[in-house]
Amino acid sequence: MDRFDTLLAHATSRRRLLGGIGIGSAAAFAGPGLAETLANLALPGGPSERPITNAFPGKGSMILQRIHPPLLETPIEVFDQDVFTPNDRFFVRWHWAEIPTSIDATTYRLTVRGHVARQLSISLEELLRLPRVEMAAVNQCSGNSRGLFEPRVPGAQWRHGAMGNAKWLGVRLRDLLDLAGIKPGAVTVRFGALDQPVVAGAPDFGKSLGIDHARDGDVMIAFGMNGEQLPLLNGFPIRLIVPGWYSTYWVKMLNDIEVLPGPDDEYWMAKAYKVPATPGANVAPGAKNYPAVPISRMVPRSWITSLSEDQTIAFEAAIPLGGIAMGGDAGVARVDVSADGGHTWYKSVLGPDQGKYSFRRWDARVPLPRRGRVALMSRCTSTSGVTQPMKPIWNPGGFMRANVETTHIIAA
Amino acid sequence: MTTPSFGTLSFGIVGLAALVLVAIGPPGPRPVRTDPVAASPPPGVSAGGFTISSTSVDLPIDDGVYPDGPHADVINANCTSCHSASMALTQPRLSAEQWMAIVKKMRETYKAPVVETDVPAIAAYLTAMSGRLGRGSLDDASGHTSSQPAGKDVTG
Ligand code: HEC
Repeated sequence: MDRFDTLLAHATSRRRLLGGIGIGSAAAFAGPGLAETLANLALPGGPSERPITNAFPGKGSMILQRIHPPLLETPIEVFDQDVFTPNDRFFVRWHWAEIPTSIDATTYRLTVRGHVARQLSISLEELLRLPRVEMAAVNQCSGNSRGLFEPRVPGAQWRHGAMGNAKWLGVRLRDLLDLAGIKPGAVTVRFGALDQPVVAGAPDFGKSLGIDHARDGDVMIAFGMNGEQLPLLNGFPIRLIVPGWYSTYWVKMLNDIEVLPGPDDEYWMAKAYKVPATPGANVAPGAKNYPAVPISRMVPRSWITSLSEDQTIAFEAAIPLGGIAMGGDAGVARVDVSADGGHTWYKSVLGPDQGKYSFRRWDARVPLPRRGRVALMSRCTSTSGVTQPMKPIWNPGGFMRANVETTHIIAA
Repeated sequence: MTTPSFGTLSFGIVGLAALVLVAIGPPGPRPVRTDPVAASPPPGVSAGGFTISSTSVDLPIDDGVYPDGPHADVINANCTSCHSASMALTQPRLSAEQWMAIVKKMRETYKAPVVETDVPAIAAYLTAMSGRLGRGSLDDASGHTSSQPAGKDVTG
């Protein structure tokens, strides 16, 4: 193993982070016990090793990207078990480190204010009494798979696990906005949360949606996740759900909704999370001075989850292959698989439809062309007719990777 | 096949009109935020068959530092308050310009309290550290001549 990786593993793990593994085993970083305590994300050029941690509240085994504030990635094998990601394996992502660790459900208030007829302060109990909706939806970080960009770009160095799918239970944002009474001339709805910057004057995290999007009936405020209350690290007690859109909009620990008569010109909308206004958000590496827009809708993706990179299997004429797919802002129409680097494609069988914003299971049998190293691929086409491209895109933020991914196996 | 998966649930439904909403005072600059409670939190709220229980957790504390090397003291003094050192240590190999841009962004955008005279030392540390990436086998062959401690020296 690269010695830098060893150093890094140490720097990111520290003593009591390896919950469940034990303090003494930190020495194992330089020894044979390594494989049990580290994940190898195989990022081009590295560093690729990350500790596996059980030290975070409400979370099982997760890939540790950063302790403070937490960045926890879901191991890929979790996605092979179910299209719904268990709450204790759901990825975690915060920007600022002032995260409340104690929340009183009886005094929590959600404010609706700004360009409205009636300013509201809603308790959680009142929220629980509103008409409910439940929806399955994929929550994917804008920078999911950023670590695979080439040339590499700065930012959180995720592999594919900055995503998850859950059944979200809550209320329609539209219902709350209607209760407050949107005034004519409203343009934007901004969402604020309890987490705070560490230093004064730094940009507080907030995101916004256009008024029509906010009122479309799909956007919701969730208090339930896979039948339970949200883990604190996933935004307890309530978070915004923006189906089909990247996770940056899914504001956690939501406590403030502000209706604006103009655009949101604050940092996290106006400057951060912007992508090139080009097809597929793609520009030539190093390109500058292109028009940029706030990131928005997701695009189709698919992953092989039944076999992992560099896994050795016994050679057979045809092998079973399975995984998950998402249509982005639409459903999954089909998933095709290839075992010859994308020359020949075979149709997969889709699992139950949990709704267009959900992950969808797919399974296939694919003939192996030969013994030895084989490149396996899956390719999703959405119900809106968009097919994953073969070629990776590039942009300096490392956003919206969605090309056909390759899993190499050895058929011995 | 694109049937929406969401629908109004049959339980716990009350009319919107039945909801009693508390109007809060005149519009202020920013609503008052809920302060964390120190004592053991009360149980929570229930309605319509769903309970939200007050929650209190402990987050792990990071006492990690940037590994030894030239100017490690400067980076450790400046770059551990807002986020773990791993935010920088997990980055790929980046150029001196890219590291300089990141340090600038920390100061200008995120308001990191870094004095301007420390910037070159921080950028130099990061560039040197990052330059070691992808040379693992080369380093191993050269017999641990690096200024960073070898992996085996690093223990819990
Ligand atoms: C005032 C708070 C603050 C301080 C101090 C600070 N940073 Fe950051 N840093 C941030 C925030 C906020 C982010 C974005 C975090 C996220 O996306 O999760 C960030 C992100 C980063 C990243 C990821 C790349 C990127 O552009 O997002 C690197 C690398 C980094 N910081 C290095 C440093 C270094 C080196 C220092 C010391 C000069 C430093 N930081 C000091 C707030 C700070």
